[in-house]
Amino acid sequence: MKKRTLQRGLSGFWWLTLVFLYLPLAVVVFFSFNAANSAARFTGFSLRWYERLLGNEQIISAFWNSMVLAIVSSVLALVIGCLIGYGMYRHRHRKLGWLIVLIYLPIVLPDIVFGISEMAFFVSIHRYTGLLQPGLLTMIISHVTFQIPFVALIVYSRLVGLDPTLFEAAKDLYATPFKRAWHFLLPTIKPALISAFFLSFTLSIDDFVISFFTSGPESATLPIYIWGAIKKGVTPEINAIAALMIGAVAIAALMSLLFNRQGQR
Amino acid sequence: MVESSRTASRSRAVIGESQHLLFSVAPGALWIFVFLVLPSLYLMAVAFMTNGPYGLPQMPLTLDSFEQLAGFGFLGWSPGNLYTLLRSLWQTLIATVLVVMVAYPIAYYITTCRVKWRAIMLLLVVVPSWTNQVIRTFGWMNLLAPGTPLSDLAQWLGVIPPNMGLYPSNFAVTLGLVYNFLPFMVLPLYAAFEKLDTAQVQAAQDLYASPMRTFWHAVFPQTLPGLLAGTVLVAIPAFGMYVIPELLGGGKGMMLGNLVANQFAGGSNWPLGAAGAILMLIATFIGLFAMRRIGKRLGGGEEVVI
Amino acid sequence: MSHPTTVAKTADQGETEKSRSNSTRQSSERERREPSSIELKGLHKRFGKDTVALDDVDLTIEAGEFFTLLGPSGCGKTTLLRMLAGLEEPDAGHVCIGGQDVTDIPPHKRSVNTVFQSYALFPHLSVRDNLAFGLRMRGESKTEQRRKVDEVAEFIQLGSLVDRPVDQLSGGQRQRIALARALICEPNVLLLDEPLSALDAGLRGQLQVELQRIQKRLGMTFVFVTHDQAEAMVMSDRIAVLDGGIIQQVGSPSEVYEHPRNAFVARFMGHDNLYAIHASGDDWVDTELGRLRLDPAEQREEQDGWLLIRPETLELNAENLNAENPENYNQLQGKVMERLYRGSHVEYRLEVEGVTMMATASNVGQRLLNVGDKVTVGVCPDDLVRVAS
Repeated sequence: MKKRTLQRGLSGFWWLTLVFLYLPLAVVVFFSFNAANSAARFTGFSLRWYERLLGNEQIISAFWNSMVLAIVSSVLALVIGCLIGYGMYRHRHRKLGWLIVLIYLPIVLPDIVFGISEMAFFVSIHRYTGLLQPGLLTMIISHVTFQIPFVALIVYSRLVGLDPTLFEAAKDLYATPFKRAWHFLLPTIKPALISAFFLSFTLSIDDFVISFFTSGPESATLPIYIWGAIKKGVTPEINAIAALMIGAVAIAALMSLLFNRQGQR
Repeated sequence: MVESSRTASRSRAVIGESQHLLFSVAPGALWIFVFLVLPSLYLMAVAFMTNGPYGLPQMPLTLDSFEQLAGFGFLGWSPGNLYTLLRSLWQTLIATVLVVMVAYPIAYYITTCRVKWRAIMLLLVVVPSWTNQVIRTFGWMNLLAPGTPLSDLAQWLGVIPPNMGLYPSNFAVTLGLVYNFLPFMVLPLYAAFEKLDTAQVQAAQDLYASPMRTFWHAVFPQTLPGLLAGTVLVAIPAFGMYVIPELLGGGKGMMLGNLVANQFAGGSNWPLGAAGAILMLIATFIGLFAMRRIGKRLGGGEEVVI
Repeated sequence: MSHPTTVAKTADQGETEKSRSNSTRQSSERERREPSSIELKGLHKRFGKDTVALDDVDLTIEAGEFFTLLGPSGCGKTTLLRMLAGLEEPDAGHVCIGGQDVTDIPPHKRSVNTVFQSYALFPHLSVRDNLAFGLRMRGESKTEQRRKVDEVAEFIQLGSLVDRPVDQLSGGQRQRIALARALICEPNVLLLDEPLSALDAGLRGQLQVELQRIQKRLGMTFVFVTHDQAEAMVMSDRIAVLDGGIIQQVGSPSEVYEHPRNAFVARFMGHDNLYAIHASGDDWVDTELGRLRLDPAEQREEQDGWLLIRPETLELNAENLNAENPENYNQLQGKVMERLYRGSHVEYRLEVEGVTMMATASNVGQRLLNVGDKVTVGVCPDDLVRVAS
């Protein structure tokens, strides 16, 4: 009897928490269809903010900046991180404490310290050498820096989970070092590489603080644009971009759910 | 036959093991070193420099920035920065406690549900954190602004004066922090609950322990490593938070992250910002160290990821 | 070593064999590969500072032989096998395969294949692609790969397994695929690292016979590693018993079983009836059991060490034992302490002259002894073997 009430209470609490988690997002989506220029009163359904979006060149360019940043940095981080992950695996019997510290540093450093360090560094380098002007390039460099550890750790944990004699079997079956990498290692860790890429991509799209401090005037990403718009005064257009980004996340969530389902079968 | 070349040809690999280590690990290690370790060291150096005319650091080396951080200015001592530090600590503490209070029952509830639902429930908890932090915080701005139902309710209750919103306020910052970090606590707690040794619970019940005592002696200790891991994942980033207090807090809700960032974003005083960053790093590493110590003492040290 | 070794192959022959194997690779013409002999000289290997895995090992394995490395875990047998494969490098010494020194040749350039204990099938490939992996790495044509996969699938009787994903196979099936994947490359030497240890007893026995049959049909040199002496005796032409990185004895199964060179080999081959020799003469020894006569012609060891009495050689309660040569025949008085009924035979634990002795009697037309029965134990001098310490 008592257990029943506990379970019911928990169930109620669960639904309340879900409301708490999704209410802010729902409000953004809801008001993106508002005819009036207000975030408090809904006056009627309208798509006019979405129409305005398409005409706003700043937003379009911010979107492309976000995409270029996320894709280029993820690819670079994938290559570099994969190499580290493999190196950590191959030499796991050595003492690599310094490498572990180096890899965890980007993860434990508070975003804000990370961002301002990069900013101070890039600005000073630019002042004295003319190189590394704050912009898309410096953003890509910073994003790769925080993506590398995640890729390395994912690849490493996949390799550790493999039967070590597989590596020997490949050698035994006449595969040269290059063929071993191409025909054995890469196909075997492919799932890890795919999930590492998606994680890197998500981390890049999600990031605001580090992008904000390393960006230049021409390289605003969507979150930076939204931030600027909020600071200037809220416009319903922001509801529309934000709603689109929430929609993208919802689609990603559904896809991961389907992916999971298939994996279980 | 080949006795003479015996020692020289011992290593027949294309490249030696040490070289292999270098080739695989060096690009990434070098990348992190050049683009993170060097900048961090540079930032630390900046803290000891003089503030130049445009907020840029200059020689000579001084401790001025630390004095400013401690509150000593042209007009004597002012408590502003001290308040900011205390507020950061307080917000972190309150937010962490609240997150635990929400996440603990949620994580437990998920483990009592059917296996096929669990993945979906976890996904539901995590998905909001996939959206950008700025957008999530913007959602709360929409909800707590003046004239919204929540603000009206608060006015009716007399919590806030008429024609005001629930934001900007310290309350809004706390709410934003709890919202932001909830998934980071649910996941490790869920992992702890899932591994829970039910035999211990049954043994306790078998020995006529009351539900309260059963929980306290058989359940809680087993979830402690997860709780600790969650605390690391919540408290440390919360302490350095910038976006949420900036958008939801206003002037009176400022945290250490804003104090630091404003010295750079506004371009006013790099050395002061760098000194603030050092303070934040010290606090972060003290926190990490403390958690590690507690984790090791509990014997579940490996549970604490960092 | 006790076994006479003949090294048939010279370096020249090794060369021609190598070039021939190359030509086989290029032309699709199929040719039975000559099995290779193996010669190990002064192999030494240590791990870390104080773990000696191999201590100055000399060994010759004949071409076309089923050779087994037998020993407890940590005896160095796997290290030795891995050196043949090229997966481990010796600190000193040489490995010659087919008369050619391959010590410095990496594994992917050695015509040697291994069946791994964990099978090591590639999880990202189908069975067919697993089988073809070695051929593909050697750059053989697609049609050639197909033909050989079908051929080996028929030879090992894989049937429909070829088109299944690897993760749907049972242990026994994986074992066959691993064997087929190694055989398909037609290596000069096949190495097997405890390939049957993960299988249950029934399947194990079946595959022991099958492996032996395959080896005889192909005439390939097999080097087999196991810690199971029964398995080693069933399958091998010759056995090397290793302990502490040292080869204790090399010989045919009957040689190693009936005439173990030392107490370690005797115990490892499953012998319990070992008695310390206090004193000895030309045809007698003194032990705890008293003075026993033995046949000098049967002795490999001259020094005093242990006396081995194999349980199956004992005669229990027989009356006409000493018809021919009564004074030479050893007779002891004992008592049955324990009886283990095995169906085909019976094991007795006896107490003879105050010491324990195991005896086995075949279960044909004899009355079973009961616990507590007094027995006369007859020991033929021909069956007594002196063993070094």
